[in-house]
Amino acid sequence: MKKLRLAITGMTACSGCQLSLLNCENELPDLLEKFDFSFFPLASSPLDLIGEYDASIVEGCVSMPHEKKLLLELRNRSRYLIAVGTCAVFGGVAALKNDEEREVLRKQVYGSSSIVESTFRPLPLNNLVQVDASITGCPPEKMELLRLLGGLLAGALPVDSDYPVCTECRIRENICLLTERGELCLGMLVSGGCHARCPSMAVPCEGCRGPLPEANLREALRIYAEKGFDRETVFARLRRFCPEWRL
Amino acid sequence: MLTRFISDQNLPDFMQKLRKFGGIEGPLRGEDGGVRFGNLSDGTTPDIHAIRTLLPAKKYLFAPEERLFNYTLQEGYKILLEDISPVTLFALHPCELAGINYLDRLLGGDAPDPHYAARRSQITLIGISCLPDEFCSCHISPSPLQALSDIFMNIVEGGFVVTVYSSRGKEIMEDMKDLAEERELPVPQDARRFFGVSLPLNVMSEIDTGLPEWQKLADRCLGCGACSLCCPTCACFNILEFAGLDGVSSERIRYWDNCLFKSHSMVAGGAVFNKGRAERFIYRYRHKQRGFGPLRGVPSCVGCGRCRAFCPIGLDLRVLTELLERSAV
Repeated sequence: MKKLRLAITGMTACSGCQLSLLNCENELPDLLEKFDFSFFPLASSPLDLIGEYDASIVEGCVSMPHEKKLLLELRNRSRYLIAVGTCAVFGGVAALKNDEEREVLRKQVYGSSSIVESTFRPLPLNNLVQVDASITGCPPEKMELLRLLGGLLAGALPVDSDYPVCTECRIRENICLLTERGELCLGMLVSGGCHARCPSMAVPCEGCRGPLPEANLREALRIYAEKGFDRETVFARLRRFCPEWRL
Repeated sequence: MLTRFISDQNLPDFMQKLRKFGGIEGPLRGEDGGVRFGNLSDGTTPDIHAIRTLLPAKKYLFAPEERLFNYTLQEGYKILLEDISPVTLFALHPCELAGINYLDRLLGGDAPDPHYAARRSQITLIGISCLPDEFCSCHISPSPLQALSDIFMNIVEGGFVVTVYSSRGKEIMEDMKDLAEERELPVPQDARRFFGVSLPLNVMSEIDTGLPEWQKLADRCLGCGACSLCCPTCACFNILEFAGLDGVSSERIRYWDNCLFKSHSMVAGGAVFNKGRAERFIYRYRHKQRGFGPLRGVPSCVGCGRCRAFCPIGLDLRVLTELLERSAV
């Protein structure tokens, strides 16, 4: 079988999602057998984009003109374009201040310096190009990344999950941090797949995997209110990873 | 009545001897206050008075995540059956036993699920009597004490009255002769104290799907799945197949599913049969109280109360039971 040509890169992000893939040390030899990592600037010396790719795997949101150009270029050259990580899928932490003026933000960070690159409001990938599949998470689970790659070899794309963090939290028989401990845990509104990583360590879910497609926000806000968390507090936390949360 | 009696003092020795027959899993209270079925290794004390565990004993028979098959080019699909060691499930309430009884019919019946059957064949069941609380609904239709267990322990003053229901139970009790004494004791048939009124379940009648209560439940449901994950008889599953990194092999995995999820009734092409949550509740009720498929007419609610106790917003289908079963009379 011919090796699959991959382009793997990041936009505005911390490179953590790409690192998660590089952290799959045990599987890397197998991956090199089956994939040609033709464009992977984080892992090897940057090369120009050459020819077509079986898949582009893109981390991060888009906030700069050159990123937009690269994304469109990757889209044009790829059979599949796959958004990996919360920033690529929902905007993530870089989009945290999307409600505020760019110019104000720029001054807060860079003052009067003139060497700052031009930026625009950070956008998830699907605001600019067609995205064929998404894997959420900050970062995504290693298993999800490996299954994505295995799936590509078999000609399949990952399926979306439609259950919240609570589901896996219950399977792990955790005590509910919200109802039993009165903590602001976002589990019931947030897509699962992380095996309730944080609540299982008694840390409330911060919502890093983004909104559950059928999240019952109205009822959730009612329970949060009962536990003493007002709307603003809840939304502030929800929007940390997905600025698009609206009632 | 002449009974076989094991005193509270003899329970640790009983447990110790029981370990000869395999590992023991029973209710343990964690430091966080949660009660879970876990390994009763030497020195651990089961919480025999706990009303309910977070997950039922179902988890030992039907795992939340189970590798069913591997695919390789050489062998094609190969069923994966791991070696399963003998396990004794200890201190199962009557509802828990009734749940296993239901799973036996569902997954161990005419065409048994090989993974279920393999686990089940290694399991010994020891029941224990209990006192229902306000979440329980076994008063609506009491789960039979004699349902299934190999041994049943009725809690009485100072100890347990032990009844044997199977040859495996007999074999175990033969070994416990020095710990059990024959005693003349008044033992009630059923030590459970019920409250509320039992309802005639009209299991073969149709249900009124036009009640506004369905939508009221649906509007509040979070879709978290707690109610079915913790249900002793919920056995709906999803199967996903993941391709290996060699480009040829794959593994097929079964996961617990939930009828309140959209994907539960999604078919090829993306169409969803039960679009709204209200429809999903009707589906759930029908399954729990009326049964369907080959088990039509067999309610699968055993009254353990977990779905009510563990629902983050306390949804209670008993409201519907009251409405539907009374009006159907």
